[in-house]
Amino acid sequence: MDCDAFRDEMMDLLYGEASPAVARRLEEHQATCRECRDELASFRRLRRDLATWHVPPGLARAPAFLSSARPYLAAAAALVLLVLGGLAARGSEVRYENGRFAFRLGSAPQGDALPAALAAQAERHQREIQALRTALGSPRMDEEQTLRKVQKMIAESEARQGAFLNAALSRLEERAQTRRQYDLAQVGAGLSYLDGKAGLQAARTTELMGHVLQASQRK
Amino acid sequence: MSPSDEELVERFQNGEASAFDALVHRWERKLQGAIYRLIGPGEDVRDLSQETLLKAYRGLGTFKKEARFSSWLYQIALNVCRDRMRRTRGKSYVSFDELSEAGEAAGGADPSALDLIEARDLSRQVAAAVAALPEEQREVVVLKEYQGLTFLEIAETLDVPLSTVKTRLYRGLGQLRQQLVRQGIRGGAPVPAPTS
Repeated sequence: MDCDAFRDEMMDLLYGEASPAVARRLEEHQATCRECRDELASFRRLRRDLATWHVPPGLARAPAFLSSARPYLAAAAALVLLVLGGLAARGSEVRYENGRFAFRLGSAPQGDALPAALAAQAERHQREIQALRTALGSPRMDEEQTLRKVQKMIAESEARQGAFLNAALSRLEERAQTRRQYDLAQVGAGLSYLDGKAGLQAARTTELMGHVLQASQRK
Repeated sequence: MSPSDEELVERFQNGEASAFDALVHRWERKLQGAIYRLIGPGEDVRDLSQETLLKAYRGLGTFKKEARFSSWLYQIALNVCRDRMRRTRGKSYVSFDELSEAGEAAGGADPSALDLIEARDLSRQVAAAVAALPEEQREVVVLKEYQGLTFLEIAETLDVPLSTVKTRLYRGLGQLRQQLVRQGIRGGAPVPAPTS
């Protein structure tokens, strides 16, 4: 096996998919070829680095798929539509009166009952209008009361904003702290590298100076 | 013994709707992992995983039994990801915070602060290097390295010859190694030949 053939089959060996015969041929080649052996080893190290990238556990399960519930949902929807349709056909109605809902099952009152019901409703509306006029005209909702209410609302809003601001500041501080640690570690690593380089340079300069001195003494 | 994917597909095609739930339960997390690594972290991962499953649900009735279910599902996921990437081309998906989370997940028991920082940093560099790969190489690297598919399954999923899969993987790994070495990570670097 030559190096080109080794590279063609190397991926099988790297991922454990080579047949025993191919694996044996690859092993034999890499035992005698340092370049191919190094390349395979470097890919193995790379795979260890790649394995450090994990999917965060925060990716929660999405809600369950509704395939099994689908027939039941369809049946329930059909039933609701059927009931509503039946009620509408029989003349039932839903009204909103005096701050609450009113349901009436069956047909509306017929004959003399309808004018009487309308008259009663008109009278009730007149009473409500009159009551509202009285309320607006009276000094009960005075300025002081309104002011107290507005102040309370402002205080509540400020408290909410304060809590939100504190939480955001704390998160920001935590993040800045992590970033600082990371930057410090990088600066530290850089300084160590520079230290090593400068030390090596100094040693070389000293050695060179020694040679120059020796040469000049010999003269 | 739990039923195979193909058995569940057959049960679904015979009218047993709950068989699809079993497939979702089995595949959802794996799909999310693949999508996360193909498009990068973000809320989109859950959306795209749901979109993939929905497309699978719609198409499963006409799914041909000669194909492998896993290859077919990954094929849908890859198409969904490709569409999304084409729509949002040019935007960066790699955010520092979320990659930090990925790094923390990688940490072993009781790591020191420096270990944590290093692991987080390496994880970030790996994520960035994978994101920088050409689409074809990234897909093969993700399917092989992180999803553990065989070369044959990848060839079936991507509908390309086996040799193409291996070539793309070889090139992708070579590029990742180069990228990581450039960023100061020596793990994958080739060992220099000794100077006599």
